[in-house]
Amino acid sequence: MNNNLLTVSTSPHILGRTTLRSMYLEMMIALVPALLVGLYYFGAPGLTTVVLAMAAAAATEYLISLITKKPSTLSNLHILLMGLMMGMILPPGAPWWLPVAGGFLTVALGMSIFGGNGNYPFNPVLVAWAALAISWPEAMGAYLEPMALGSGDDWMEAETFLMQLKGDIGTLEMFELGTLWIGNVAGGVGTTGTWALLAGGIYLVIRRLIPWQIPLGALIGAVGMGLLAVYTDERVAEMGFEEFSAYLNIVWLHLGAGSFMIAAFFLGPEPVSSPVTPWGGLLFGLGVGMMTIIVRFWGSPLDGAFYGVLLMNAATPLLDRIRPRVIGKVVSGA
Amino acid sequence: MKLSSCLKGIRLPRPPAAADPQPLPAPEKVYLPLRQHQGAVAEPKVEPGDQVMMGQVVGASEDFESATVQATVSGTVEAIVQMPDPSGGMVPTVVIANDGADAWIDEPAATEAALASPEEVGATRPSRLLRRVREAGLVRAQVQGRPLHVDLSPPMAPQSYLYMTGIPVVRPIDTLIIKAVDPDPPVCPNASLLGEAGDELAVGVAALARISGASRIILALPSGADASALKAMAAQYEWETASVCQTSYPFAIDHLMVNSLTGREVPTPYGEPRDVGVSVQPLSTALDVGSVLLTGRPVVERVFSVTGEVKKPGVFRVRLGTPIGEVLDAAGGGPSQAGKVVVGGPMMGLAIYDLGTPVTRETQGVFVQSAPQVQHFADHPCIHCGRCVAVCPVNLIPSDLGKLCEFRMYEDAAEQDLMNCIECGCCAFVCPAQRPMVHFLRHGKTEVLAGRME
Ligand code: SF4
Ligand code: SF4
Repeated sequence: MNNNLLTVSTSPHILGRTTLRSMYLEMMIALVPALLVGLYYFGAPGLTTVVLAMAAAAATEYLISLITKKPSTLSNLHILLMGLMMGMILPPGAPWWLPVAGGFLTVALGMSIFGGNGNYPFNPVLVAWAALAISWPEAMGAYLEPMALGSGDDWMEAETFLMQLKGDIGTLEMFELGTLWIGNVAGGVGTTGTWALLAGGIYLVIRRLIPWQIPLGALIGAVGMGLLAVYTDERVAEMGFEEFSAYLNIVWLHLGAGSFMIAAFFLGPEPVSSPVTPWGGLLFGLGVGMMTIIVRFWGSPLDGAFYGVLLMNAATPLLDRIRPRVIGKVVSGA
Repeated sequence: MKLSSCLKGIRLPRPPAAADPQPLPAPEKVYLPLRQHQGAVAEPKVEPGDQVMMGQVVGASEDFESATVQATVSGTVEAIVQMPDPSGGMVPTVVIANDGADAWIDEPAATEAALASPEEVGATRPSRLLRRVREAGLVRAQVQGRPLHVDLSPPMAPQSYLYMTGIPVVRPIDTLIIKAVDPDPPVCPNASLLGEAGDELAVGVAALARISGASRIILALPSGADASALKAMAAQYEWETASVCQTSYPFAIDHLMVNSLTGREVPTPYGEPRDVGVSVQPLSTALDVGSVLLTGRPVVERVFSVTGEVKKPGVFRVRLGTPIGEVLDAAGGGPSQAGKVVVGGPMMGLAIYDLGTPVTRETQGVFVQSAPQVQHFADHPCIHCGRCVAVCPVNLIPSDLGKLCEFRMYEDAAEQDLMNCIECGCCAFVCPAQRPMVHFLRHGKTEVLAGRME
């Protein structure tokens, strides 16, 4: 016999290279293009908002870990990712306490009271966002007119495309699809760069960090419901569009407007609060897409996509019951 | 390849191209466990002090689920001791000191007419072939395999689990899959035998088909490897060939390969391929059968693959009963800081604790890890990311099962098909929270079975 000490454990004996830290880091990297677009158009006010939100989130987590005497989870970057997303959906140039409150609420209200990472039923970022939107509607609705980097710093208040659209349908003709999709519009710091968000999201799908079903469902749901909505909307009908392509264009505008893309690729597929089953994920996505359009046409101009995600988060436990058929399971009584 | 295998499962790195197996000299002492499979332990037929010849029976049993054990060297029986087998349990083991003469015994079995060609095999009664396989004590080359003669006979009666689930008929075996692929790379003993397309293989496959009664023979070849010799042979004997990608784990393990090649679903958890009329045999087993029939002598060697962190990884022809530690030395020695030695591949293999564990008929190879490379699992809660669901080849929801087992709700887990898990380890491989998924699931299964026994 031999006296070498060998380790014995259960298989598998090799693990993939993805850890929580690497996964969250990649998610943050995927958000960087959109963040850069945001900083290009909103400059210093945008940067302040994002940094404050991240710092507040990290500080809150640190304090909570001190109070509860639990090891802090800051090192796995989850909190920073949440703070980053919080900052990116807030209006640039918001008063300093808004992102701070956002970061605090994300961690305290959205996450910690449910037991931390892995246990919260709703996306913490959106829980915080909803709390802010209810408490300080004016501050949350005060957006800045985008200005390319280096063109001075006299920021002007502006309304987002969706807010203008709610008031006046003629807005449709004032916006170029191209401008909207590259991010040259008023909106949250990181939500306007539609192309950038799309690229980041596709990267996550290819890396298999988020399930492909959710973004796909969201896109299908939004396009489908969008077409239905524009066809039935009297105000659009009055504008005298004839062709299908004109209607479809309105839908493309909707996809690029507001926060749909960040909701479809980042906030919706947030691991903890989204379903894990394939069909559940697809339905979840469809729900997000449809709710986005429904809220935009018949509800609040603030942002439908976030309400869509929150609502579908509530349905997640139900969607998780849609299980695929198990291979090799014999059905009794055949 | 079916679509499901592109979407599900994981990709493992391609193993290095297989070289021909190199023979290793016989060791000083061989350790022959009296059970080299799952089944019954054979009774020792020798006493300490006896002189034995190569090929002499040292253990046999009347029990059908047991395989005969022969001496693999000539020499003196030193003792009969308890030794661990790869799964860690203790098995009575015959220790033989080698006298270096390698003198074969001339028993009637050894002189029985050699069957030299597939035609001769075709003219022999299956029961006679089966008896010879049984006398040779062949075992299906797989950890926890069965004695080959058991594996080749169709089930005696409808298995109770099938009966309960509504398939009361015994299905005759009609398909034989010879797999030249290895489910768990980089441990690839079969892939190194791709060049061995000769009489041995022809006779072995013909005998396997004749015994099991299969009319359709499928040769599962690894994609991307040079298998032209086997392909030519398949064309000559009218075998079908199929290409299986062994790096898309776990689609080369038997249950899933049967599913993708024949469309039949092997019932889990207790079912076997033969329940749906398919027999899956590794290429090395087919060659063993061929050599038994050609020479009339039992097989004393095993093709054994040594991979991972050793100086010279490779495939060796090892005398059965050689301690694994000696094989590692022959491969240049393990890492200075020993970590794990895993019998079987890195994804499904069993870590052993004693380097004295011998090479047996069921082992295929070892995977060696140095201490710094040993993986550690974490106790982070599941973050519900769904990566495990995306990879599970049998469509389970491992995240839920893991949670239920962790919190001791075993019966709830069983209701969610815990028992259908094939323990492939994909879920643990991809889990970013590095939860010990397979550990939870195995523990849960044991508890469920224990609970049902009561
Ligand atoms: S649950 Fe079982 S079958 Fe599914 S991936 Fe995990 S180990 Fe494999
Ligand atoms: S991969 Fe791990 S963390 Fe993700 S759902 Fe499965 S068990 Fe949970």
